[in-house]
Amino acid sequence: MSVFMDLNVNYTADTSRLQSLIETAAHLGFSTVAINYVFEPTVKKKQEIPAPTAISKVMDPLPIVQGRSRPIRVLNRLTIVMSDASHFRPTAVEYRCFDLLAVQPTTEKLFHAACMIYDVDIICISVTEKLPFFFKRAPVNGAIERGLVFEVSYSAAIRDSTRRRYTIANAVCLMETCKGKSVILSSAAEKPLDLRGPYDITNLGLLFGLSDGEAKEAVSSTCRSVVLHAETRKTASGIIYTVKSCTDWPPADCEAPAAKRARPQLTQ
Amino acid sequence: MVRVKSRYLLCEVNVSDRSRLLLLDDRAVAATVKAAVARIHGDYGAALCSIRFSVKYLNAHTGIVFLRFPKNCYRLLWSALPFITCIETRGQKISCFLNCLHVGGTMRTCQKFLIRYNTQQLHRMLPKCKNEEEKQQVQKEILNCSLTGRNKEAFEDESESEEDEEEEEE
Repeated sequence: MSVFMDLNVNYTADTSRLQSLIETAAHLGFSTVAINYVFEPTVKKKQEIPAPTAISKVMDPLPIVQGRSRPIRVLNRLTIVMSDASHFRPTAVEYRCFDLLAVQPTTEKLFHAACMIYDVDIICISVTEKLPFFFKRAPVNGAIERGLVFEVSYSAAIRDSTRRRYTIANAVCLMETCKGKSVILSSAAEKPLDLRGPYDITNLGLLFGLSDGEAKEAVSSTCRSVVLHAETRKTASGIIYTVKSCTDWPPADCEAPAAKRARPQLTQ
Repeated sequence: MVRVKSRYLLCEVNVSDRSRLLLLDDRAVAATVKAAVARIHGDYGAALCSIRFSVKYLNAHTGIVFLRFPKNCYRLLWSALPFITCIETRGQKISCFLNCLHVGGTMRTCQKFLIRYNTQQLHRMLPKCKNEEEKQQVQKEILNCSLTGRNKEAFEDESESEEDEEEEEE
């Protein structure tokens, strides 16, 4: 059984809707979900990057994933819609509270810069308009080598007919250039009814031009590699990581041998 | 020996409020699927849909549907299913989505999968039981699960009434 992940679930301030979204995702079989905070800086006024709300405030305990015995894992993700190079500041402090970073470039130069230079995990392909630029092999291959992935989201396609055309057009264009590698498919779900099961999304991948195996990877192993890439981005060359010190280790004189003692979660 | 092969898709209809589920009927679901396929794949899709497509089984209590498609084009027709956003029946719209659980070559394999799936659902419900009596009932049902000696309808009706009670409890 492979691990399915849905790395784009839109954040809503309404906690009950967020709760039902997470429950539906757990019921459908997704073992990891990332709550997406979209940040769109405009030139006019200075905006602040929203801080993520702790998941324990939203829902506790987390629902168990269908078909497994562990609860669903919820990550935080920030998407920056960029129309100018100054929108993304690589050393901003606020980025540290998010587990995943994504960027949505709107011009060719920004796309090139995002693929080659910026320190992000995901590059979003917009679905609301036909892309004004074409994908070139050089930045796309550079991004694949660095471990970045391209994301296509499908819930706009479900809601609206013209968006469906743009989604399919942009996705097919991307697949031609990147040959189906390093792509993830995710919903940009706002309501629980926007989510779809993992096998249905695999089938949607066929519509976008992916082959069978590639489409399944797009929902499972590529997502897993993005999450690992995001974890290593926080470390120093992938070797050291800072962990919050846990104060609740079980007592040293407990019966079970050391290997079987319950350990608190390290990556929180 | 030449044999006509079909693929049976086991889908679950997910709704936001379970009381609306009871309004479902198989002709409504069939009409919705045909409309969705025609919308996405046009006249070609609509034509393919008329070959051997039908709704073989529908359970309004749990929302399980068995759809039958011809084997050579089932992937194309399957790819139109995620675009279904609501099912219209008797003048009422039920907003829902279809989640495909299993693809089988025969009804019997789908039935075996469904029994295993229902057992898993009962297991998931066990920690959520509010009182001892419910717990005993659910445990009894879990122990009763087997393919031999019971026909499909009887088993599923019992487990669904458990599920309905559990859902109402929640």
